Amino acid sequence: MSFEMKVPAVGESITEVTIASWMKSEGDFVEQDEIICELESDKATFELAAETSGKLSIVAQEGDTLPIGAVICKIEASVGEPVAEAVGADASVVEDAAPVAAAPAEGPKATGEVVEMNVPTVGESITEVTIATWSKEDGEFVEADELLCEIESDKATFELMSEHSGIVRIVAQEGDTVEVGQLICKIEVMEGGAPAAPQAEAQASAAPTSVNGDANYATGHASPAAKKILDEKGIDASQVQGSGVNGRITKEDALKAEKQAPAPAPAKTAAKSEAPAPVAAPSGDREVSREKMSSMRRTIAKRLVSVKNETAMLTTFNEVDMKPIMDIRKKYKDMFKEKYEVGLGFMSFFTKAVTVALQEWPAVNAQIDGNEILYSNFCDVSIAVSTPKGLVVPVIRNAEKLSFNGVESEIIRLAKRARDGKLSIDEMMGGTFTITNGGVFGSMLSTPIINAPQSAILGMHNIVERPVAINGQVEIRPIMYVALSYDHRIIDGRESVSFLKRVKELLEDPTRLLLGV
Amino acid sequence: MNYDVTVIGSGPGGYVAAIRFAQLGFKTALIEKYNALGGTCLNVGCIPSKALLDSSEHYHQALHKFEKHGIKVEGLGIDFGRMIERKREVVKQMNKGVEFLMKKNKIDVHYGFGSFVDKNTVKVSKEDGSEETFTSENIVIATGSKPIIIPGVEYDKKRVITSTEALELDEIPKKLVIIGGGVIGLELGSVYARLGTEVSVVEFTDSLIPGMDKSLGKELQRVLKKEGFKFNFNTKVTSAKTEDDVVKITAEDMKKGKSLEIEADYCLVSVGRRPYTDKLGLENAGVKLDDRGRVEVNANLQTNVENIYAIGDVVKGAMLAHKAEEEGMFVAELLAGQKPHINYKLIPGVVYTWPEVAGVGYTEEELKAEGRKYKTGSFSFRASGRAVASMDVDGFVKVIADEATDEILGMHMIGPRVADLISEGVVAMEYRASAEDVSRMSHAHPTFTEAIKEACLAATEDRALHA
Repeated sequence: MSFEMKVPAVGESITEVTIASWMKSEGDFVEQDEIICELESDKATFELAAETSGKLSIVAQEGDTLPIGAVICKIEASVGEPVAEAVGADASVVEDAAPVAAAPAEGPKATGEVVEMNVPTVGESITEVTIATWSKEDGEFVEADELLCEIESDKATFELMSEHSGIVRIVAQEGDTVEVGQLICKIEVMEGGAPAAPQAEAQASAAPTSVNGDANYATGHASPAAKKILDEKGIDASQVQGSGVNGRITKEDALKAEKQAPAPAPAKTAAKSEAPAPVAAPSGDREVSREKMSSMRRTIAKRLVSVKNETAMLTTFNEVDMKPIMDIRKKYKDMFKEKYEVGLGFMSFFTKAVTVALQEWPAVNAQIDGNEILYSNFCDVSIAVSTPKGLVVPVIRNAEKLSFNGVESEIIRLAKRARDGKLSIDEMMGGTFTITNGGVFGSMLSTPIINAPQSAILGMHNIVERPVAINGQVEIRPIMYVALSYDHRIIDGRESVSFLKRVKELLEDPTRLLLGV
Repeated sequence: MNYDVTVIGSGPGGYVAAIRFAQLGFKTALIEKYNALGGTCLNVGCIPSKALLDSSEHYHQALHKFEKHGIKVEGLGIDFGRMIERKREVVKQMNKGVEFLMKKNKIDVHYGFGSFVDKNTVKVSKEDGSEETFTSENIVIATGSKPIIIPGVEYDKKRVITSTEALELDEIPKKLVIIGGGVIGLELGSVYARLGTEVSVVEFTDSLIPGMDKSLGKELQRVLKKEGFKFNFNTKVTSAKTEDDVVKITAEDMKKGKSLEIEADYCLVSVGRRPYTDKLGLENAGVKLDDRGRVEVNANLQTNVENIYAIGDVVKGAMLAHKAEEEGMFVAELLAGQKPHINYKLIPGVVYTWPEVAGVGYTEEELKAEGRKYKTGSFSFRASGRAVASMDVDGFVKVIADEATDEILGMHMIGPRVADLISEGVVAMEYRASAEDVSRMSHAHPTFTEAIKEACLAATEDRALHA
C-alpha cells in the first residue's frame, strides 16, 4: 500500500513552503513519526514526520517550493523485517515495566488523610521546645499511641505519642527548636496493621511531576549557597535533611547542619602574609567535640546568670552537729522502714526543720513580684535533683503539713520521675524555697544560687567527723556545714542568719520539731 | 612579600577577582597592559559591541518599523562618526567605573605589561620604558584571549580586520565578508547589516553558532536571511588579501568541491579566539600549558605551580566574560579558605543579535548523543501578546526536560530580550526545578517571560495555554 505525504497546513497565512533538506534518501526505510525532511516558510522552519512506516519514495527535491497540499513523497508500507523488530523491542519494554506497576499485595491501606502533629502546650510559661530524639524515622510506620519523639523544654522532657497509625513524615529535625503549636510531623493515616515491607510505601509514591511534598530526583539537592556552606563545614549533602521543596537543601538547612562525627577540619590555610609561628604540636590523642547546648541547658545558663545579675545575693553559713539525728536514725530506721516502706533519711529532718523556720521568718519564704512582695502561708519546698540532663527541682507541696514519712515518700516519687524524665511542668512550678544537697557529691562548703523567683536556698554538705569543743571538751562529732544563699533585697541579715540558726537548732535537737519550740 | 595576591589582567575575570580578594582582606595588586581597565570585554568586546548594536537597532527600527507604528520620520540618516563616538563614551564611562571600584577596594593598579620573573615575582614593563618588580605570595593569570587569524588570511587591520577594528571603522562598509558564523561575527555582522552593509558569512561547519542547540542556529539563520545576510556553509576560506581597497577572498565549498571567489571592501575574521600568554614569562615560573595553548589548571583553577592560579579565557572552558567572573570569585574565596563551586554546565551562552539568542544546560544534540530520554516543549513568540505588541514575533523558547523526572535539563531560546530571560533558566536549573515547577510559578503578564512558562507547560504534558 502506498501512502502520499502532502505539504501540511502550517499556518494561516502560509500558502507555500520550500523543501529545506531531506533527512532520508530515496528508498530508505522510515519509521512512523521519524523526521524525514525539513520545510521552510518565510515565518518558520518545520520538521515533517512520517505518518506511516515504509519505504520512502521522494517526489519533491531539496529547494523545491510547493503549495500547501502538494505531494512531497510517497511511503510504501512494507511487511519488511524492521517492523517486526520494532514490535519485539516494544514488547520487552512493557514486560520490564510490569513489576514496577504491581501494587503491594497486602498490608495497610492509605486512607488519603494526612494528620499534622504539632508541638503540644506543655506548660504555662513554655513557648518553645527542642526535638530531642525521634523514635521513628521519616517514612516509617507508626502505630497509634506509639512513641513518636521526645521533646525537651527548659524544664522537662516529654514524650509525644502518635495520634494515628500511619506513615510518619518528619518536618522538624532532631535538635530543631520549635514553637508551641508548630508542625512537628505529618502522619499519612493508614488502616490496618504495620506494613510487612516499609519500603513499598516509599516507592509507590514516586509521582514524577508532583511539585510539593514527596521525595523525588531533587531530594537532597543543595542550593548554590547551601552547597558552599556544606562544603566548608565538610558535611556531605546526603547527611542533611532538606526542608525545601521536595527535600531540597536550603541555605538555612546548611547553616543549621552539623557535622556528625568530628573529623579534623580540612586545613586550607588562608593566604595571609603573616604566617603563624610554628608551635610544637602537642602529642597524644586530643579531640575537641562540639555539641549543641540542649534547650534545658541553655535556659539553666540564662537563668543562673540573670539571678546573679538581678538579685543582691549573698550567703550565710553555719554548722550542724548531726549526732542527734544520726542517733535517732540508728534507733528508729528499721521501725520506720517497716511501717512506712521508705527509709528514714536526712532530707525529712531538713525539710521539716526548714518549714518550721520558714514560718517563723516569712521573708525567707517570700518572693519579689515587681514592686510587691508575695508572702506564702504554705511551704512548697523545691528539692534539687540531679539527672543526666541537668538539674531539676520538683516541689514538695505543703511540706509543713507532711509527716516525716510523707516527705520521704514524696521525695522518692519525685526523684524517680525526675530521673526518668517524666516530671510534669506542674510538678516543678511554684516552689517557695529550695533545698540542695551538694553533700551527696562530697562538697564541704559551697554557695548555692537562688532558684528564682524564690528568695533563698539552703545548701546541705557532706558530713565529716570534726573535733569540736563541747562543754570545754574536745569531742569528735559528725558535722555538716550548711549555707543559706538569699536575696538581700527582701531578706535582711537578721532574718537570714536567724533562719539558718533556727534550722541548726531544730536539727541539733529534733525533739523541738515535735514540740514546735 | 609586597602583596598577598597579584592579578595579571584587568578584564571581567581579573578585576572581579581583585575586588573579591580585597573584600576578603588580601593585599591585592592588579596589572593591566593597556591604559584602560576592563580588558577585551569592556574595551573591544561585549560593551562596545552592545553600544553599536543598540545604535544600529534604533536606526533599523526607525527605517523599517516606525511607519507601522504610525511614526513618520523624514530625513532619516546615519552619522556613523557620532555612533562610534557614543560607543567610545560608553566605554570610557565603564573604564572610570572600574577604576573607581579599584580605588574603593584599595587595590594597587599597575599599568604596564606584566610578566613572571619567577613564581613569586612579577615585572611590570611600562609604556615609558621603565620597569617595576615586586613580589606576591599568590598570582592569578587572567590575561584573556586574542582573535585567531587563519593561515592565508592577511590581517592588515585596515580591510582585513578582527572584531577590534570592526568597532572602530571610519565608514560603513558597502560589502562585508565575515569569516566565521559564531557569536562575534553575527553580532558585528548585524550592526553593519542594519546600517545597510551587504553582509555575507562564510562558515566552515554546516550551521551558525555551533555549540548551541541546533534549533537556535536554524531560526537565527532564517531571520538573518530575511534581513539580507548571505550564508555559505561548509566553506573553507583559503585566502583573503587586500588589493587596492578591495579584499579578495577565495574559499572552497567542501560539499560541492568547487572553489569560490568573493570580493568585498572589508573582511572580518571571527573564527575564534586563542588564549593569550605571549611574553608572559610562564617558563620563568614553570607554569605549564596544555596541548591547545591554554594554561593548564586543575579543578581548583590552580596551575602546576602551587601559588599560581589562572582564570577566564586563558584556561579551558567557554570564553565568556561571566564565566571568567565566576572563576575570579572562585579563586579568591578558595584562597581565603572557603569552598566555593562553579556549575560549568549552567553558564549561559548568549548572542546579542536581534532576536537575541541564549541557551543554558544540555542541548538536544548532547542528550541524543548521551542516549538520555528527554522531552521538549516549545513556545513561539508569535503567540506571545507582549511580542506581538512590540512586533518581535520571531523566535521561540524551547525547554528540554528529563522524560521520567521532568527535571529541566536545558533551556534554549531565541527572541526578544532572551539574553535577560535566560537567567530564569539558570535559577531554575541551579535548584533542579522540574518543568512543571516553573510552569506553576506566576509569570507577570504581559511579558516575554511568559514564553518560558508556556514552554514549560508544553514540556510538562503538552499543555501550553496559548499554543
